[in-house]
Amino acid sequence: MRIIRYTQPSGRTYCAPLARSPWTGLEAEVNRLFEAALSDTAPAETAVRFPLDIYEDAHLTTVRAELPGVDRAAISVELADGTLQIGAKRVHKTGDREETVELRRSVRVPEGTVQADKISAAYENGVLTVTLPKREEAKPRKVTVAVA
Amino acid sequence: MSLISSLIPALADKTAAADTGLKVAPRYEINETPESFSLLVHLPGVSKDGLELNVDQAEVRLNARLAWRKPEGWTALHRETPDATYELVLAHESAVDADKVQAELRDGVLRVTLSKTAALKPRKIAVD
Repeated sequence: MRIIRYTQPSGRTYCAPLARSPWTGLEAEVNRLFEAALSDTAPAETAVRFPLDIYEDAHLTTVRAELPGVDRAAISVELADGTLQIGAKRVHKTGDREETVELRRSVRVPEGTVQADKISAAYENGVLTVTLPKREEAKPRKVTVAVA
Repeated sequence: MSLISSLIPALADKTAAADTGLKVAPRYEINETPESFSLLVHLPGVSKDGLELNVDQAEVRLNARLAWRKPEGWTALHRETPDATYELVLAHESAVDADKVQAELRDGVLRVTLSKTAALKPRKIAVD
């Protein structure tokens, strides 16, 4: 056993790892905002983020993802642990150089609301449509109550 | 009426809501070779019928409509894409030969090859 002299933790020692600049957090936030604003000007082919829409009707939920120009065979749609994972690859050619861009997004799907074995997906005009049929229990039900 | 409905969106005709008249510029890329320019435009959701490409002496003009419309009875839970038509106008100052344009639309990607006018192509001059 060794005896180590106890030093009162001061504000300064506590902040040591972050003490580079009091503005570090702000700088990071400003950088993030600039990146977000400028990401739209990134070349079309190497943009990693893709937008998606979610629609619903009484019987199904539909996810539409804009994935123009991706390799149809490499599109993956997986449902596991209440998360729908959409993955795709885009090959970008500039001259003889080839670059593969991986695209990935996930959507939370509340468990027990979807018939997992009946999920279907279609790719048309650069839009991936994933159809998730609802379970009977999750469908809205109309109950008529007789008032005596 | 259209002025009123544009000022107060709630009064607008709901059946026409899908066609918002909103125009967005698509993502695009231009690459240059000694012989031509290649233009690549991302047009997700656009089919051949909804695409209009005009090339004239001064500009390349592209208009594209979305082929898909939200079916009746569907509600949008989450939206990240606008209900808009794509519009792209690129001025080229007669750098492009309007008669030699090739275009191909596949999987939501439009690839256009625009041949340069003879004046712009590199010319090798033989020296006697």
